[in-house]
Formats: sequence, structure tokens, C-alpha cells
Amino acid sequence: MLLANPFTKALWDARRSIVGWGLTIGGIAVMYTAFYPSISKPSFAEALKNYPESIKKAFNMQDLTTPQGYLESYIFGLMVPILLAVFVIISGTRAIAGDEEAGTLDLILAHPASRPGVLLSRLAALVTEVLIICGVVYVLLLAIAGPTKISPVGAGHIAAATIQLAFFGILFAALTLGVGAATGRRAAAIGTGVAVMVLGWFANSLAPQVHGLEWAQRLSPFHYYLGGQPLVNGFDPGGSAVLLGVAAVVVVAGLVRFRSRDLAV
Amino acid sequence: MADLAIHTDQLTKMYGSRRGLAGLDLSVTTGEVYGFLGPNGAGKTTTIRVLLDLIRPTSGRVELLGGDPRQDGVALRRRIGYLPGDFTVDGRQSVTELLTYLGNLRGGVPRARMTALAERLDLDLTARFRSLSKGNRQKVGLVQAFMHAPELLILDEPTSGLDPLVQQTFLSMVREARAAGQTVFMSSHVMSEVQQTADRVGIVREGRMVVVERVEDLRERAVRQVEIHFEDPVSAEEFAALPGVSDVTVDQNVLRCRLDGRADALVKAAAKHTVIGLRSEEPDLEELFVTYYRGADDAAR
Repeated sequence: MLLANPFTKALWDARRSIVGWGLTIGGIAVMYTAFYPSISKPSFAEALKNYPESIKKAFNMQDLTTPQGYLESYIFGLMVPILLAVFVIISGTRAIAGDEEAGTLDLILAHPASRPGVLLSRLAALVTEVLIICGVVYVLLLAIAGPTKISPVGAGHIAAATIQLAFFGILFAALTLGVGAATGRRAAAIGTGVAVMVLGWFANSLAPQVHGLEWAQRLSPFHYYLGGQPLVNGFDPGGSAVLLGVAAVVVVAGLVRFRSRDLAV
Repeated sequence: MADLAIHTDQLTKMYGSRRGLAGLDLSVTTGEVYGFLGPNGAGKTTTIRVLLDLIRPTSGRVELLGGDPRQDGVALRRRIGYLPGDFTVDGRQSVTELLTYLGNLRGGVPRARMTALAERLDLDLTARFRSLSKGNRQKVGLVQAFMHAPELLILDEPTSGLDPLVQQTFLSMVREARAAGQTVFMSSHVMSEVQQTADRVGIVREGRMVVVERVEDLRERAVRQVEIHFEDPVSAEEFAALPGVSDVTVDQNVLRCRLDGRADALVKAAAKHTVIGLRSEEPDLEELFVTYYRGADDAAR
């Protein structure tokens, strides 16, 4: 039964949002991929030559004519991770800080439920939601791989990129839940999530082109998500370890503060 | 002490520099109904949230059902039913869905108990929470607090929003809880809400306990209007000098007076005549409650 515990209840409450976001993100991935056959034509590559180099680098467009390059820049490099991060930031903020500000967390924690238990259950639910949405993206990409001519990438490498996409999403889940649990404020949780997403994107795409700012790329979650080029090289254990490691640290820090602080009225 | 369901000792809670509680001593005996009275902002909700470990005291000791809310929180809360002062939940779920989930957090509650309570309070279990009126939302809060028959009920302003009929149902639920050996700790800012069921009341003001009294003792001391109908006319002088009796008026064979304290002398004096009827108004403890406030006010000055 889906009302059995805080984990299944959180999934049950998220059922509509899982379907909505799953279809949106999956749909966007399919739509963009469907353009690949027309972009991979030599005429488009010719047109692209005239783009300024910095723009091409920023949007990861150096190599749009190979399916790996196209998927990396358009599907896995921009729309899909940004939309996934937005979904996670909204859900992760609601999970603790949103409920606390709405006054509904009081009742749950007045029940025989521990604070770590509730926080970890809701994190587990959000991680599950991320995995479901990434699973939808993966299945859809495989389904259209033939007609859209992206098959040469290989199911294994698409899987590797999708798994790292999930880790990228999990980092944002940890971030918003952790900050929300530590502060009890929605604004803090949303602000942190959005700031890391936006600054992280710029740090990964623009900073490497600015002399003296190259180091900033190493602070970006995008770098650890796609920097190892999973679509070309397969699964990147190092980058994945950084994403999950930071996620774990943030959750533990949030948990420590959450356990000891007063719940807001 | 084992026979205390709730015990606090010099409980203090500061919100920054703002006072929440200023050394509150509270003792609720196992099996009693305790009315926790005070004006808005006196510290009632703060006390309750400390008991449930939602907030942590600045200093002082808390003991709940023989345990420490901080250390044994989960185990203790299993034995408690709690109605928050502002009962809010995610409004998209149905009442059944909500109650099932809350019951499951407690390891499951028999569905029959849920429906029996809902029926008694005339609550529609299929409704979405959002669509319910304030009173009906409060009923949901009551059902979730009572449904697992907890050892200790902590109710923050339980009757707010309830119509008089449901208030009566609530009062009988409290009486039944006491009869079953459950302890009830309920807060209110209106004496009349608790005087009908409470064994004792504690009045809290500015984070401190001002007075703790048995309701019976309060009643005994309270001023009430008495009206006695005699068969034959009586004289006012005969009654005016009696202890506790004042404002005596006689209209033929009907005597009206104010009675302060015990009724013994008045009854015995009246018994010398043939009494047809006797009416004594339920003492207005509210007045007494306000007096305590003023008293505390004056003492503070």
C-alpha cells in the first residue's frame, strides 16, 4: 500500500508530478533528437563553421555532426539536465522546507517518526523519482535511436550518460533537501539550487574560455556530469563519485542541523 | 515520578531575546484531565511543542510518560495523540487517505475505530481535506488524535471552530478517555471549554504557571446566583447575615442572592421553611479566571 510509510507516501503524492515531468523531459529529449538527421547533413556543418568559436564552445557545439556530439550538446548538455534540475529543485524544496513553512511537517514529526527517518525517506523518494524520469528518457532515446540515426552511440554509452544525468539530479535533490532541512526556509533551498544550477552552467561553459577563470569549471556539477564525455568514453566513475560524494556530505550536514534545531511554527 | 504523565521543572524557552517560557512548572497526573489555560501568547503552544520535541527548551527539565522527549521521542510519541493548535495538512488528499497514512505511521490503526469516530463526529471520510470547512478540518484533527486510543492526549485548543453540538461530542469523548484511564492535557484560552471536563486547571501567564487548582475547588469558591422558591413569604434579614451570602432580595416568597463559596449555611437556613424550588446557576469560572489574571497583574506591579 502506498500510504504505508513516509517513503511510499512521498512517491504517491508525487505521482502526478512524476508523470508530468517524465513526459515533458522525455518529450523534449525525443523532439531534439528527432532534429539530428537534418542537422547531421554536411550543409548544416558548413553553416555552423561561421559561428563564433566562443559560442560554439559555450553551447558545446564543436561537434554537432556526430551523434555523440549532438546528444551531448543538445540533449544531455542543456535542456534535459536543466529541466531535471528544475524539477528536483521544486520537489526537493517542497519536501522539507515547503512542508515546514506550510505547517504540515509538525504533525508528521509529532508522530512516531524521527527527523532523520523523514528526511531520508523523502530523499529516497526524490531519488526514485529522478531514476524514473531518467529511465523514461533512456527508454525513449533507445526507442527512437534507429530512425534518428543516433544508434552508433550505442545503448551502453547512452546508459552511461543517463546514469550520470541521474547522479547530477541526485546532487540537486541532496542540495535542496539538505539546505531546506538545515534552514527550514524555502527561499534558501530554492536559492541554493538555482544558484548552483545557473552558476554551475556558466562555470562549466564560459569560465574555461576566460583566462584566469579556468579553475571555476572544477566547481561546476556540469563538469563532473559530462566532463568525462560518457557518450564517447562510457561511464565516468571519477565524476560520478564527486557528484554522489558531495550529495552525501550536503545531506549529512543538513541532517545534523535538522536534528538539533527548532521546527518553525 | 511514575504517576506523572507530564512533568516540567523550571522549563525555559527563549526565541532569541523573546520569551517563550520563563520557568514553567507543570505536573499532570496519570489519568486526569488537565486544562491548560492562558491568554494568547502565554506559552501554551510553546509548552506543547516542547513536549512533542518539535522545539527544544533553553533550560529546565521535561519528563513525558517517564521518558525524555529528546532521547526517547519516537517511542514516546507512539503513546501520544496530538492535536495541533493549527491543524493543517496537504489539502489534496482525501480524509481517508490522510488518516490511513497517519495511522500507518503509528503502526496501523483499525479501520473500524476510524470510521466509528468519524461517524460520531459526523465527518465525511471521502471528502478532500481542502474542501472541508474549518470545523470539519478540526474534526479530522480530533479523529487522528483519538483513533489509536493513546495513553496521553495532548490537545491544543481542541474545540476551536467546532459547533456547540460537536463540542458536546468532544467533551464526552474526553470523559470516555478518562474513564478508560487515558490522560488528557488540553489547552484553551476559555475557561468554559475546560471546566466541564477538567479535573484540574493550570493557568499560565507570560510563560509562568500562575495557579493550579482543582476545578471542584474553584467551583466551591466561585460566586453564583441562587434563587429559592418558598411556599410562604420569607424575610430578607433572615438570610442576609449568612456567611457567603450577599445581595439578598426577597419578592414575596422568592429569594434571590449571590452565594460566594459553600452553600451549606444557606441551604440549612432555607430548610427551616418549605422549599418548593431551588435554582443555582453554574458558577461562572470565567470570571474567576479573569480575576486570577488581574491578581497576577497586580502582584507583578
